[in-house]
Amino acid sequence: MIYILFSILLGGAILTFLANKISGLLRDTFFLLTMLGATLIFYTQLHIGGLVNFSIGSFNLEWGVNSFSWYFSLIVLGLGTLAAFYALSYMKGKENLGFFYFSFLISILSMLGIVMSHDLISFFIFWEMMTWSSYFMVIYSGKNVQKNGINYILFSAFGAYAMLTAIALVYANIHSLSIVEMISNYGQFSPALQTWIPILFLMAFSVKAAMMPLHVWAPGAYSDSPMAYTSVFSGALSKMGIYGMILIFVTMISHLPDDTWFREVFAWLGAITAIMGTLWAIAQDDARKLLAYSSVAQLGYIITGVAIGTDLAMLSALFLAALHALFKGTLFMAVGAVERQTGTVKFSEVTGLIRKMPWTFIASLLAIIALAGIPPLGGFVGKWMLYESLINSNHYILVIAIFFASTSAFLYCYKFLFGFFLGQEEKEWAHVKEAPALMVVPMLLMAGFLVILGTFPGILLKPADTAMQTLGFAPTEGHLWSMSVLFNAWGDQVLLRPLVYAIAGIFLFFLIILTVKGWKNTRYVTTKDISSSGEVPLEHENLTFSVNFYQPFLRAVGPVMKHRMITWYREFGAGMETIFDFTRRIYTGNGQTYAIYVMVFLVIILLLQNTIFG
Amino acid sequence: MHEIIQITWGAIVSFILAFTVGITYMGLNRKITARIQNRIGPPWYQNFIDVIKLGSKQTSIHHGVMQHMGPAFIMVTSVMSLLIIPILNQNRFFPNLNFHGDLVFLLYIMVFGPLGMALGAGQTGNPNSAIGVTRGLSQMAGFEIPWVMALVALMIQYKTTSIVDLMNIQVETGKWLMFSSPFAFLAALLAMLGMFRYAPFDIVGAPQELASGPMSENGGKYLFVMMSAGSVFAFAKLTLYVDLFMGGANNLIILVVKTFSLYLFPMLYGIVSPRYRTEQSVRYFWGWPSLFGLLAILHAMFF
Repeated sequence: MIYILFSILLGGAILTFLANKISGLLRDTFFLLTMLGATLIFYTQLHIGGLVNFSIGSFNLEWGVNSFSWYFSLIVLGLGTLAAFYALSYMKGKENLGFFYFSFLISILSMLGIVMSHDLISFFIFWEMMTWSSYFMVIYSGKNVQKNGINYILFSAFGAYAMLTAIALVYANIHSLSIVEMISNYGQFSPALQTWIPILFLMAFSVKAAMMPLHVWAPGAYSDSPMAYTSVFSGALSKMGIYGMILIFVTMISHLPDDTWFREVFAWLGAITAIMGTLWAIAQDDARKLLAYSSVAQLGYIITGVAIGTDLAMLSALFLAALHALFKGTLFMAVGAVERQTGTVKFSEVTGLIRKMPWTFIASLLAIIALAGIPPLGGFVGKWMLYESLINSNHYILVIAIFFASTSAFLYCYKFLFGFFLGQEEKEWAHVKEAPALMVVPMLLMAGFLVILGTFPGILLKPADTAMQTLGFAPTEGHLWSMSVLFNAWGDQVLLRPLVYAIAGIFLFFLIILTVKGWKNTRYVTTKDISSSGEVPLEHENLTFSVNFYQPFLRAVGPVMKHRMITWYREFGAGMETIFDFTRRIYTGNGQTYAIYVMVFLVIILLLQNTIFG
Repeated sequence: MHEIIQITWGAIVSFILAFTVGITYMGLNRKITARIQNRIGPPWYQNFIDVIKLGSKQTSIHHGVMQHMGPAFIMVTSVMSLLIIPILNQNRFFPNLNFHGDLVFLLYIMVFGPLGMALGAGQTGNPNSAIGVTRGLSQMAGFEIPWVMALVALMIQYKTTSIVDLMNIQVETGKWLMFSSPFAFLAALLAMLGMFRYAPFDIVGAPQELASGPMSENGGKYLFVMMSAGSVFAFAKLTLYVDLFMGGANNLIILVVKTFSLYLFPMLYGIVSPRYRTEQSVRYFWGWPSLFGLLAILHAMFF
């Protein structure tokens, strides 16, 4: 069945690409059918535990699904299918559509391939396919190819080399490329290899998960891809890094004798990623950049959870990974909708869309609430588990760091909602209409799911728990709920649900009071009908506050933000260029200079002939 | 069903109590401020008059759905925190929704309302509202750090995330937490200055500068609900501090005495202070208060 799944995706990708030459409708049909077919087969035909293997040359390739890879495929296919519907509408009228859909399907295929590979060769091949297909998306727009495209491919190549080195080291030692054998033989490696193999693998995975200091490519790459793909890029593709990290941490790092410092370093790197990502997100004026930095920050939380590695921390990391796919997918789609309807993504340019695009606003609002981790939505459950696991494992300063990042996240959350949807309504944007249903419905579906997860987190926690058992965590069947105080006896017979109902009840009660009181007399007036400094602004005066939105805050955190990783890399690059420049002076490309080199060499030989040839 | 009715009754009774006490405190604040500034000032019940006046006024305009819902959001925070914070020791008279781990829940529900109201303020289109909101959020990122540090210190020291457990510990040992974890108390006390937003931290409303910030463009029923929510929330916060650090209260008179003496701190600190700029305010909380918070955590870890 895995063959069929992969051939459908590959064949569908090629057919879609070819159909583009014939007609747009045919292309769209093929694209959607491929995506739906793959999803259908995955959910109905694929069995957990199924394995296929075959040989190419002397290498034995093995593909299979276990509960752990199933969980990640859930993220990929769930988000992928919704993004596919969205893409149909979002990409309408753009150029090179065959190319876009081809890369889209190939990257879905490669992500599924990564989680289903049981040997290092196919893992690496799929990994590279994923890099290339996403690279095509980054350069799709044709803007900033020199800057963002090169950045992305350079860092990915660095990661790939690190992984390839690790694979070669493994093969040289055990003469097998099976992941299972690598893990079972891990204990017999020499101590140096035992440290270096996980480090090399983690380098590769950190690049994709955009962890500090390897995150430099992320903001540019996320914001340059078409938004229909960015939701997958940030939501699912970056999770492949997390997938790899979890594997390495569970199977290798935990066997190291001195794994504690390893975990501490990674947990702190994750926390620093979260803090710096958040601060930079606050400083952005471009919605795509803001979300890109926010993605970097959110992945930081997940990395911290993975690195801590207790049962609860891992559960929260898996939960947050799926949740991030949901809310960041929604938000990137919302930006895409705004971009398509207004033609800009700058907060300082577009304001007051709430009455024009109400459904996009509702979807973004719910996603933002989940992102900020405010009850009663799903984000709160994930954040809670992370805090609790950190406190239980005595990481007190780390809790403060994570908490700081998530409190500061409110700042950019508000900026996102205010920048696009609130503020004064301008004539310039009076023509804007709500995005087509094909774009709005996927967003609303995901946002709705976030609401449900707030009350019934078990929907995701159960598969996550099964996935963890595959990795060798203790089975928690039946007492999954006792892992966290959130789920077990809530003190005085109170559960999470009554609290959610209480919140809803109080809100509705006061909303009804507000609405009923003076219902007939209260009427809507425009946002121009206000009093500011004792004057009513004129029709053409725009009083919306959106330039230098958080300047005072940024001034307060200024010293931290002075240092940027990118400058360091640039200086490193400049230093390398100086070395290369020196080499270039020797190899001038001038024949006469080379003749002089030969002459000098001969003279030296002749002078020293007695010493050399004795 | 019986429980739901009980909880609802508890909510209504404690709401009325918190409303009365909160409004009285606000009125006393105005009176005391006036006396210190050598004015006569309004009577202590002036705020009751204001609230009743606002409530009975006819509201004729609104700027959209979000603004309309804003006061309801802020009310959720006030009532939910009132429901979670135990008012008297051993939950006497006031049944509520507290549970193991309500401290973390409280941290997040306390920002739910302000954020919802911020959205409402944003929709009015008044620039002062948005400026006030950005200042408020920045300041929140400031004072939450020492506040969370203090709470984490308590969580480590007493191995619980429940307010009721912390109160019971104080009742059993007979020693208030402000004495057994002094640094946590200091950090929390300084963070309280930011929570109450009196001078020098009154950058959000900022009289004479932002024309009451996020509140501008709100009047009549909207301001009525906001003002009630504000005073209820003030009482809830004070009660939380009393519960956590001052051994809770066995009856309402002790509660009022304790909360009022605590309330004097931000009030009196404010009367003699000018106003900070936003970045000064943010940095203030990352200075001494956070240092005390760090000391509290170290104290809890090693002693």
